Amino acid sequence: METREDILEIMREDLKRALQKTRSERRWGMAIDLRRCIGCHACTTGCMSENLTPPGMRYRPVREEEIGQFPNVSLRFLPRPCMQCDSPTCTPVCPVKATYKRDDGIVMIDYRKCIGCRYCLVACPYGARSADVGHYYTGEMKKQTYEVENSGEYGKVFKRKTHWHSPIGNARKCHFCIHRVEKGELTRCTTTCLGHATYFGDLNDPKSLINKVIAKANAFRYREELGTEPRVIYIV
Amino acid sequence: MRFDGIVLPDRARLREAVDDIRKGRGGISLYLSLLGLLAGFLAIGCIFLLGHAHTTNTSDLVPWGIQITTYVYFVLISTGCTFVNFFGAIFYEEEYSPYASRVMFLAIVTALAAFISLATEMGRIDRMYYFLISPNPASPMFWMSVWYAADIFIIVLEYINIRRSRHSRKVMWAAFFVAVVTYGTLGSLFGAVGSRAYYYSALLPIYFLFMAFLTGGALCALVAAVEGRKTPGDGSPLPAFFTTFLKIGLGLALFATFWRLMIGLAGHVPGSEAFGLTLFDTLFFGIFLGVVVPFLLLLATRGPVGLIFTGLLILATQFKGRMDLVVGGFRVPVFRAYDIPAVVQYTPSIFEVLVLIASVSLVSFLYLVCDRSGLFEPIPGKEA
Repeated sequence: METREDILEIMREDLKRALQKTRSERRWGMAIDLRRCIGCHACTTGCMSENLTPPGMRYRPVREEEIGQFPNVSLRFLPRPCMQCDSPTCTPVCPVKATYKRDDGIVMIDYRKCIGCRYCLVACPYGARSADVGHYYTGEMKKQTYEVENSGEYGKVFKRKTHWHSPIGNARKCHFCIHRVEKGELTRCTTTCLGHATYFGDLNDPKSLINKVIAKANAFRYREELGTEPRVIYIV
Repeated sequence: MRFDGIVLPDRARLREAVDDIRKGRGGISLYLSLLGLLAGFLAIGCIFLLGHAHTTNTSDLVPWGIQITTYVYFVLISTGCTFVNFFGAIFYEEEYSPYASRVMFLAIVTALAAFISLATEMGRIDRMYYFLISPNPASPMFWMSVWYAADIFIIVLEYINIRRSRHSRKVMWAAFFVAVVTYGTLGSLFGAVGSRAYYYSALLPIYFLFMAFLTGGALCALVAAVEGRKTPGDGSPLPAFFTTFLKIGLGLALFATFWRLMIGLAGHVPGSEAFGLTLFDTLFFGIFLGVVVPFLLLLATRGPVGLIFTGLLILATQFKGRMDLVVGGFRVPVFRAYDIPAVVQYTPSIFEVLVLIASVSLVSFLYLVCDRSGLFEPIPGKEA
């Protein structure tokens, strides 16, 4: 049986292979095995520390669902990152093209362009977007470095405090840690997942672990009936 | 082209009006407007200086609150005024012409009030220039901005033409069609949101136009009735077309409100529970208080006082209706995590309420000052 480290190592190898291809040849995707998710929220907290998100903003919350009635009750956890839809509803509504879909499928937000109209928050059927209205953990006290410095999101410099390109006032969301992925590192939620329920990789690579996992198990995509073609696949 | 005294208030009379205000002879409504304006703009200043985090109660679950509601409310009134101008000029030319400049002035100032409210909701208003350098033609919001620019231009032109006694029917028709397209686009901005059953509807652009006609008609009737009350002895009765417009508007509002509710209640898609959650408000405020009672009042009362009361009732219930429309779309969250409630509640903060007060006060203050300065009086030697 493969250990957690083995699985991560396989995915890192997959990542290296994917990065050798051109951007348009890659198709980043994520699979979440709900049978393995233990609801520890390590992915949520890992993501928050990686992306230095302000209070209340979670790119990847975990939903807890109660299924059935007593005595046949079970609890299911449903982590929800941005679905990076192939047919996103959030990008066409943006009046200034601040959010767009990249060649490799990542739905991006340009923090320098976003006008903060929040139309994308309204349009997203997954509630995956948040508005950064300027909350700080430290409140009125002296702002800590982790609250004001560059989070490195999208591989660019977006300092939160006193910067023309500050994301305050903008829409924000999960971006599959593209700043890590492009350096050959897995997404933060993948590496922090205790139950190794999260798989990340190139859906265009038939040899990748994510494709093998999806092929073997019962898979579904959340609210697929909306025609958004999400790239996050749940395994049940 | 001469603006002073024709398009803008005459300087000397404006100075007199300001002196009157300073000496305490402005009248209670003007002082209330001034107070509201000061408090409202203080709140707007706080929103910009302190930021949304400390001043507003909108959130990821309710991204659009009372400021967007105020914006929608006032732009619909602005459109309604354009409609009143159009139908008044077409069907009641002689009777309507004394009111034309007031109606178009209201169309302009309500649009201005709407934009002020909108500006306070935007996260980064300093980046609005991206509408020009990075437009997205796929977005209804982009088209809304394009049509707004055209709408503002044409209603100002229509107002100038009316005041200069050079009324052009071409401009009037253009103003009507631009208004239909602009506010139809605003309806589509909400109606095209497929992820929210409460918004998603082809009926919404029509709903917006019908509500625009009602609310614009109500404000115009209110203003005309107040003017009629000020000059009871001049022998000219209040024109009946204001009441006629209101009755038609109420009929259209009943149609749009009732069928939107019924179709929504019949839906069994995720999020359509919102229609059930707003059922009482829609039936009581939207239909009973908003349509039935004003209609009965129009039938039962004659004269300006009844019309003033009816107009105020319509404007108040329609604001409640806009609030239910905008915020109702967020009552049922699209994704329910462990700490997200099944039904989302939203209560505006004091700053947000003051933005509404600022918008209302701006309209009333500008109207009262300009009225006091004689801006809407016929120009000597010209037909106004």
